[in-house]
Amino acid sequence: MAYAYLFKYIIIGDTGVGKSCLLLQFTDKRFQPVHDLTIGVEFGARMITIDGKQIKLQIWDTAGQEAFRSITRSYYRGAAGALLVYDITRRETFNHLTTWLEDARQHSNSNMVIMLIGNKSDLESRREVKKEEGEAFAREHGLVFMETSAKTAANVEEAFINTAKEIYEKIQEGVFDINNEANGIKIGPQHSAVGGASGAGGAGAGGAAGGGCC
Amino acid sequence: MFRSRSWFGGAWGRPKNPHSLERLKYLHNILCKNTTVSENNRGTLVESLRCIAEILIWGDQNDSSVFDFFLEKNMLSYFLKIMRQKCGGSSYVCVQLLQTLNILFENIRNETSLYYLLSNNHVNSIIVHKFDFSDEEVMAYYISFLKTLSLKLNNHTIHFFYNEHTKDFPLYTEAIKFFNHSESMVRIAVRTLTLNVYRVQDASMLRFIRDRTAAPYFSNLVWFIGKHILELDTCVRNDADHQSQQKLDDLVAEHLDHLHYINDILCLNIPDLNDVLTEHLLHKLLIPLYIYSLTSDSTRRPTPSPYNRDHIQSIEAITRNLEAILKGKNAEVSPTRITFPRQRIESDDESKPSVSCVVALFLLSQVFLIITHGPIVHALAWIILQSDISVFEDGATSILEMYISNAKSSVKLEFSKPQLSLEKALENTSGYERDYTTPEYSGSKTFGLEDTDQSSCDLDPELVSTSLPSTSQMSESSSVAHDSTEDLVTQIHFMKSGASLKENMPDSPLPDSGIESSSSKTTSELNNITDEEKQKLLGVATTSSSDRVITLENILDRENREIEKRPFLKTILDSLDCNENDYKALFALCLLFALINNKGVNTELLDTLLCPELDSNKEISVARESSISQNETTSTQDHTSTPTHSRKSMQSFNALLISKLMTIANLSCKPASKVRLVTLELSVTLVRIAMQGASGVAGARHIAFAEGLRGRAAALARNFYKCDDIFLDMFEDEYCEMSKRPLNVEWLCMDAAILLPPTRTPMSGIAFAKRLPSGEMERARRAIRSFFLIRDLYMKLTGKQETQLPLTNPAPFVQVGDVLDLNDSDLISCDIIQKDDTWHHRFLAVDNIQIILVEPDKQRLGWGVAKLVGSLQDLEIQGDKEDPRCLHLTIHKPRVGASGALPRTILLRAKFKFDDHIRSMAAKQRLTKGRTKSRQKKMQQIGRLLEVSGISAPTLVPRHRPLFSRPGLTAIRRSTGGDADDAERRLRRPSAHMLKDGVVVYRERTTSRESSVSRSSSTHGSRDGSPRARSEEIPLEDIRRNASFATCMPSTSVAQAQPSTSTQLPKPTVSAETSFISGEPRPKRKGIVETI
Ligand SMILES: Nc1nc2c(ncn2[C@@H]2O[C@H](COP(=O)(O)OP(=O)(O)OP(=O)(O)O)[C@@H](O)[C@H]2O)c(=O)[nH]1
Ligand SMILES: [Mg+2]
Repeated sequence: MAYAYLFKYIIIGDTGVGKSCLLLQFTDKRFQPVHDLTIGVEFGARMITIDGKQIKLQIWDTAGQEAFRSITRSYYRGAAGALLVYDITRRETFNHLTTWLEDARQHSNSNMVIMLIGNKSDLESRREVKKEEGEAFAREHGLVFMETSAKTAANVEEAFINTAKEIYEKIQEGVFDINNEANGIKIGPQHSAVGGASGAGGAGAGGAAGGGCC
Repeated sequence: MFRSRSWFGGAWGRPKNPHSLERLKYLHNILCKNTTVSENNRGTLVESLRCIAEILIWGDQNDSSVFDFFLEKNMLSYFLKIMRQKCGGSSYVCVQLLQTLNILFENIRNETSLYYLLSNNHVNSIIVHKFDFSDEEVMAYYISFLKTLSLKLNNHTIHFFYNEHTKDFPLYTEAIKFFNHSESMVRIAVRTLTLNVYRVQDASMLRFIRDRTAAPYFSNLVWFIGKHILELDTCVRNDADHQSQQKLDDLVAEHLDHLHYINDILCLNIPDLNDVLTEHLLHKLLIPLYIYSLTSDSTRRPTPSPYNRDHIQSIEAITRNLEAILKGKNAEVSPTRITFPRQRIESDDESKPSVSCVVALFLLSQVFLIITHGPIVHALAWIILQSDISVFEDGATSILEMYISNAKSSVKLEFSKPQLSLEKALENTSGYERDYTTPEYSGSKTFGLEDTDQSSCDLDPELVSTSLPSTSQMSESSSVAHDSTEDLVTQIHFMKSGASLKENMPDSPLPDSGIESSSSKTTSELNNITDEEKQKLLGVATTSSSDRVITLENILDRENREIEKRPFLKTILDSLDCNENDYKALFALCLLFALINNKGVNTELLDTLLCPELDSNKEISVARESSISQNETTSTQDHTSTPTHSRKSMQSFNALLISKLMTIANLSCKPASKVRLVTLELSVTLVRIAMQGASGVAGARHIAFAEGLRGRAAALARNFYKCDDIFLDMFEDEYCEMSKRPLNVEWLCMDAAILLPPTRTPMSGIAFAKRLPSGEMERARRAIRSFFLIRDLYMKLTGKQETQLPLTNPAPFVQVGDVLDLNDSDLISCDIIQKDDTWHHRFLAVDNIQIILVEPDKQRLGWGVAKLVGSLQDLEIQGDKEDPRCLHLTIHKPRVGASGALPRTILLRAKFKFDDHIRSMAAKQRLTKGRTKSRQKKMQQIGRLLEVSGISAPTLVPRHRPLFSRPGLTAIRRSTGGDADDAERRLRRPSAHMLKDGVVVYRERTTSRESSVSRSSSTHGSRDGSPRARSEEIPLEDIRRNASFATCMPSTSVAQAQPSTSTQLPKPTVSAETSFISGEPRPKRKGIVETI
């Protein structure tokens, strides 16, 4: 499937904040509010359009790596964008943000776009972290902020797409070295100088697991 | 439910409830009807697969019959059928299939459901299926699937993936084939998976991993790491102009990733695995590539080399000999009898890969910073510190045995490409092209599983086991597979005689080009000593030591001679030479630091560096012992030193190390030195460790060194004292910068920028400490920072407490909220207008060191509440072009105590509007003078630190003049004695009292230092008795008065005896100026002030 750019994302945050659910919600929209069933997955890809350009997002969940330093290190480095997620119903997940951010800043390339996400906004009654607190944290650390719900899909699209937009802008500004794939950005087949029809693979099939046909 | 989407357009009369057994039956039906994937049914299939995942998860949690049906109908086999079709758009379907499996395995909570899913081996068939991995999406979903499965591994589930009887573990063997995939996320997933597998700790499985896969996997891993660093080396060599820093960054980060990965494996503490990994790392990478390269520059470079011909030969001999030792451990085969075939080595450069010494030092530093696994780091440390010429001369065959637990080692000591690619080595575990009758595999059979075989996964274990070579050490020309059981001796002989062997042999002629001597004068001098001379010197050493008159020169002499026998340590110590630049030195320092601080390195080994010369120790200890160990020392020198030898026999290089480090420190005290700050900081850190040795206490001689050094550093900094307007700011900023960012060697070694030759220009983007100063300003900063570093060394060695840094203002400080007696003070009324047009009315008061904005206290006339307190020193004052009544002030937070080491923070930036231009001018003058004076005071403190002549006695300098100055009282302080800081501390007595409304009230006290804000327990009663400070007439007068302080000192000592109550103090007269400035234009406030 041809694309202009491919952006690699990672999702980080404490366990149970809903990373896997957000990922699946975004890449496969159809897991919408069906019965209390929230399903997650640790990898997904989806095509979006920004500025008339097809952009493929690949999202890699970091689940299960926490124990190994080598893994977290490299994960950060290979990503162009990161979703830093906390759970608005559990304050400790918010308190840990600083640690996550330090880690991210230390290991990632300096241009990585970080989006702060307060998830489970559907659980208003159990809220422990005020929206304003999230906003303040984001402001203080120069992040973009959003509250989402992987369950109701509220703001999920926006979170991923806004991050992509910011990366895209950075590319336009020439901040990202797009020829260096280690930055988590890949130029699509039609952009690359080589121009091979390599990426086509599945005979122009739709966005694979991506949303689409409904 | 009502919101759920209409997934199928409602066309096929499917059951309404998306989560029901009926629905699954319906989907099953669809799969049955669409066994062949085509353009037409693709979409339908994808939808069905998606729904199946969802229903199964729902069923897992709600209705067990769903799962029963799924298993009963063997629905996973449909998945396999779909997968195996090659048709248009199959990758589209495959991707969904993999994602469905991902969802399934990740979300299933019910253990039994999971077991059922895994039980019929379909999953293994899916794992071994050869998807179209050229499709990056398929690749990504596939590897995620494997990773997800690996997260499900535990002592029970492992048996579904690892078949003990058939010795088959496709999940692992398929995954590691992608260990070097071009896509970083894929590589990471593979690494995650391997770590997840190893930590299951199933004995049988681990045995399989070790016996069948460890050697090929680790040898390939190690080979790729090596290739990587060769690339890194090329990048460094070809980038003198800092053009490809980004690429270098990546390569360095990648190398760190490798090391962290290896460390993560080692930290799982799986002995069998660690042995194999250790062996491969040491033999195939760390020794042949990293360690060899330490001495490689001499052989490779046509450029001048510090080594003469003899030296190169001996190094070659040693490395080669080490190889022999590491290769075979047959103790009976003495290396002296191992005769290396003579061979021309014209092709040396191409055949024996190596990296530049700089890169080798850098990489070894990283190794020692990250890896703590004893057998690896200790062996490396031993080789670096201990391996000496005796290895060559006497053949200590068993030297490294103790470090390599796997005695059957057949891993050749060479950085070479593994004979088989990992893919090849593991090929027989899966795939449909399973034909293993390749020449490498004698007796291989055709692999069991055909493409259409649905029973699946009856992989042939025999094949896997027999066909996997245990190591991949064979030279490229060899077409014979060696396995670990092959007789070692034969193998060695084979390799020795192999015509393809490109190693250069110890006694082969050396290229003439690379031998000219170079830069390092000391080294070449030493190298010029002939063997006879060495012998003689050795004789001298023994006599001198028997005389037991051990001078530092003697020790150094001997160490300098001894170091000639330690090629690797010598390289490191020689690299510390900073005469030309400190490029290499920095890495040598990093390596020494990392080595010394590595937990895995035996501390006794470190005595080589950290323990002072044996003989000098002995002088302290019992004399009787000395002669005995003397003999020992000499005898070991004559024969061989092995790591098993007792501590006593160890030759120490402590004095040599210290002298080299001191040379760096001394060099950096020279104005035009080429020593970067980071190099100095590391040297100073190491010199302290080396001087303190094992005892933790530095000797008198060392302290004297440090003292001298401190003097030189002060002298260097003195050059810049006062010649720059902003010297004070630089001084404080540098201190702050240094405290904020203490040296972190691990971080330093992550920075690829230091791999490029040292530069001067800040435009390189390299941090100041990591480059040379550019321009006079930076030279001043460098001098200041050097002074701090060296002073710190001195303080630490002497065990003194730092009391003069950070520069602090004398206490006490008025704090926000303090209530001040401002009767008869100079107050200037003003309006403060901020950017956002907020507007406040305040009175401005000026202390010695601070600017205070007060609001009248509503309770007591003549008193005011401090609303803002800023430092005069950092105050920025600007007139207003349009309005002469206005000033623009930027007020910074005062630096108190330890906060002197924090960066300045702005408290307020605003326009101050005074009543008229005269008051504005008066304010400006007062503030400017106050600023100057407070800065002068700090400059005097610096002067004392730097031993600027004329600023020696701190007591002569009045360091604080209170808000309400009373000359007599001020003098009290001065008369308290020589130690100003002491006095300061004694005077700092907190006595705040909280009243019920939370207001802290203060009252004046007699001691001048606290007089302006001294605290009292009551709000009343002191007003009448409170002293009226004599007002400052005009700021200019302050200076005059201050200047006179020094002279009037003795006369005021009487005041000391006065009790600390304010009542006895003379009542000063009201200053006309105070009322003039503060009052008039604002009748109301004027009233308050004037009622006094
Ligand atoms: N109400 C509600 N629940 C959510 C939401 N997102 C996730 N959950 C639930 O939170 C739990 C954890 O979600 P996951 O997505 O597995 O969390 P994770 O961050 O991936 O956790 P780890 O994989 O352990 O790091 C699940 O039980 C989800 O059902 C949400 O937006 N709203
Ligand atoms: Mg998760």
